[in-house]
Amino acid sequence: MFRWKLAAAGVVVGALALTGCAGGGSSEPTADAGGLGEKLTIVGTLSPTSLDAATAGWGNASPFYQAVYDTLLLATPDGTIEPFLASEWSYNEDNTELTLTLRDDVTFSDGSALTSEVVKTNLERFKAGTSPDASFLRNLDTVETPDETTVVLKLSAPDPGMLSYLTRDPGLIASGEAIAADPEGLATDPIGSGPYILDTDKTVTGTSYVYSKNDEYWNPDVQHYEELVINVIPDPTAALNAIKSGEANGVRLANNQNLAEVEAAGWTINAGEINQFGLLLLDRAGTLNPALGEVKVRQAINHAFDREALLTALQKDAGVVNEQTFPPRSAAFDEALNDTYPYDPEKAKELLAEAGYPDGFVLEMPSTASVGTTTFNLITQQLADIGITAQFVDAGNNYVSDILAAKYAAAWIGLEQTGDWQITQFMIAPTATFNPFHYEDDTVNGLLEEMQLGDQDAQDAAAAELNEYILDQAWFAWWYRPQNSYATDANTQVEMLPTNNYPAIYDFQPKN
Amino acid sequence: MLVFIIKRLAAGVILLLAVSLVAFTLLYIGGGDIARRLLGENATAEVVAQKAQELGLDKPFFAQYFDWLSGAIRGDLGNSWFTSQAVAVDLSSRLPVTLSIVVGAVVLAAIVSVVLGVLAATRGGWIDAVVQFISVIGFSIPNFLIALALVIVFAINLGWFNATGYVTFATSPAGWVASVTLPIIALSLATIATVTQQIRGSVIDAMSRDYVRTLQTRGLSPRIVVLQHVLRNAGGPALAVLAVQFIGLLGGAIVIEQIFALPGIGQLTVQATTLGDIPVVMGVVMITAIIAVIVNLAIDLAQAALNPKVRLS
Repeated sequence: MFRWKLAAAGVVVGALALTGCAGGGSSEPTADAGGLGEKLTIVGTLSPTSLDAATAGWGNASPFYQAVYDTLLLATPDGTIEPFLASEWSYNEDNTELTLTLRDDVTFSDGSALTSEVVKTNLERFKAGTSPDASFLRNLDTVETPDETTVVLKLSAPDPGMLSYLTRDPGLIASGEAIAADPEGLATDPIGSGPYILDTDKTVTGTSYVYSKNDEYWNPDVQHYEELVINVIPDPTAALNAIKSGEANGVRLANNQNLAEVEAAGWTINAGEINQFGLLLLDRAGTLNPALGEVKVRQAINHAFDREALLTALQKDAGVVNEQTFPPRSAAFDEALNDTYPYDPEKAKELLAEAGYPDGFVLEMPSTASVGTTTFNLITQQLADIGITAQFVDAGNNYVSDILAAKYAAAWIGLEQTGDWQITQFMIAPTATFNPFHYEDDTVNGLLEEMQLGDQDAQDAAAAELNEYILDQAWFAWWYRPQNSYATDANTQVEMLPTNNYPAIYDFQPKN
Repeated sequence: MLVFIIKRLAAGVILLLAVSLVAFTLLYIGGGDIARRLLGENATAEVVAQKAQELGLDKPFFAQYFDWLSGAIRGDLGNSWFTSQAVAVDLSSRLPVTLSIVVGAVVLAAIVSVVLGVLAATRGGWIDAVVQFISVIGFSIPNFLIALALVIVFAINLGWFNATGYVTFATSPAGWVASVTLPIIALSLATIATVTQQIRGSVIDAMSRDYVRTLQTRGLSPRIVVLQHVLRNAGGPALAVLAVQFIGLLGGAIVIEQIFALPGIGQLTVQATTLGDIPVVMGVVMITAIIAVIVNLAIDLAQAALNPKVRLS
């Protein structure tokens, strides 16, 4: 007679025994005899759209590219730019020619060598391609290659951001032979000169990217692991569970809501700052909403926000209140300017009355469910306290594109604080992406010209004056710089980059 | 029988065409600025326009649909706009992950439901009450809550199973078990609740029939009466319910895959739909529709195998 109960018990016991043998999800990197960790497992919130260097993005996608490609220059945790594939560089007198000298000992994983022609091909592909940052090379006119290790970038106009661009996606260099043989194949099988090589058999695109150490790498000092795994976990709860169960060594936290839980699990929170959150007061000429054309109205909006309370409510105090556009590492930053618009609803009402809006006005802005409702509820409440009625329109997935299409006079957003020149091209210049109304101001234009054409001292002075001017003119109503939190387990240490959301692959090390 | 199968397959092809048109229309209407979403806020308007042209988003609706359809008929489902991976390759690597938890959930649900349903129907009393209670729990608690509870207890606190990720069977059978056990349990509970009730009701109904009394008076043991005769008659409706549940679980796996970070069709669908990755969503819709057609046909054939009356009709 078949004993069903005994059979069922046997199946359960066998399954439990098998899971015991599975060894759980421990991701402890152990150092081998060469001091290298066995495996580094890190978690990202999104996957790259393509692994081709020509269409690369940066930010949260940067580790995927850094693992397999090198950049021409290197951005360091202390904020400086160092040699990398280019061992030295220099500008000509009017900053319209940037000459790079390449290392002569670099080979790609397909065995081909790094030459000036390869760099030229990569720069031209990036400029002509559809990378989100393709416009960074807008001032690149031509690339000359007088010899195998010399590259001359000829610029149509000075570009103070060029050196920092070459430390990130525009500076990624793919194999010239691979580009010639199968450029489309690079999207899923990247061939670079980087510290690791993508294992296409073990990789599941969009979910888990597995890289093995490049034994021929020219810079073994920055290789700290035998294997690198980057798992994509968009869901914050699943990412938190990966932390608690020890299934990763490093995780970028999507928000600051669970810092205590992460620390309670024995992990370290590495804190940096890269973004700033607040309102963009875009319609400075009053085209859509005449009220926003008045500087006193924009100043009133700045006085309406209790920045400390917003930081507590939305980020659990993880961050720093802020009113100005340029970040603390910039020469333009002045701590004293952060007292320009203290929280003062009465003062805000006075300013509105002086501007001709004693009874307030209606301000239409976009909202999106992807960031929840709390932020928009708080904006509604704080503006209502000074008489402004905020009306939110659900823009759904088109939140950013609707803002950039100048459909709204103002909008809430979080934006990256990068280098000074990049900030002006991103948010301030008449052609800036986040100046959709193309608002121009003679004072601003003059200062932008000084930043572009002057030497470093002149650039810094112009940036400082620009920072103060647009704060005084209330182009924005910034609230705070939230903490950029990167969690590492007890076996891993990392240094944060001041210029990127995600730490550099080179800056992760086993803690021995 | 062959004619029956051919007719059903032909109807399936027409169904797939209709489904593809409806799905494409919905995606087209709700797409928004896909190129901007693809490139993010840093990209200039010129680059966004260039990307839109590259993806064919500037073409009229029917041109875009027929471009996709002509490729799909040739077996080319295109490439993901957001990962550049060929859709067919993506689906072929992810489908086994989803099927392993969905089939696992259906098999577990079938076994447990038969046991519980038969016990409840034949023993009655407190056993029946307990089974009813379990069914209510399975109906009322959402599977994602159960999944989270399982993760906390068995993965994080006890460390018996994986909290996230998937290990293929070929890589490590033990690792595979560790990665799919909790998702399968979470996914199966609602199905167990439904099918248990179905089997309980069918068995009670069958047990009241004359043929059962006849078999019992002929001296057959209750075990043989139930297992060899009653279940055969009661199994038909339960099979139909299981088929519907299987199709439903393909969709229900979405949430479970998100929670456990499993690289299955569900996780792919969420990401692709949110972003507006039309080639991927269309690929997922078509594969799901094909599975639904095949499963329904298979269940019809299984019903015919169980019950000769179905064959005659």
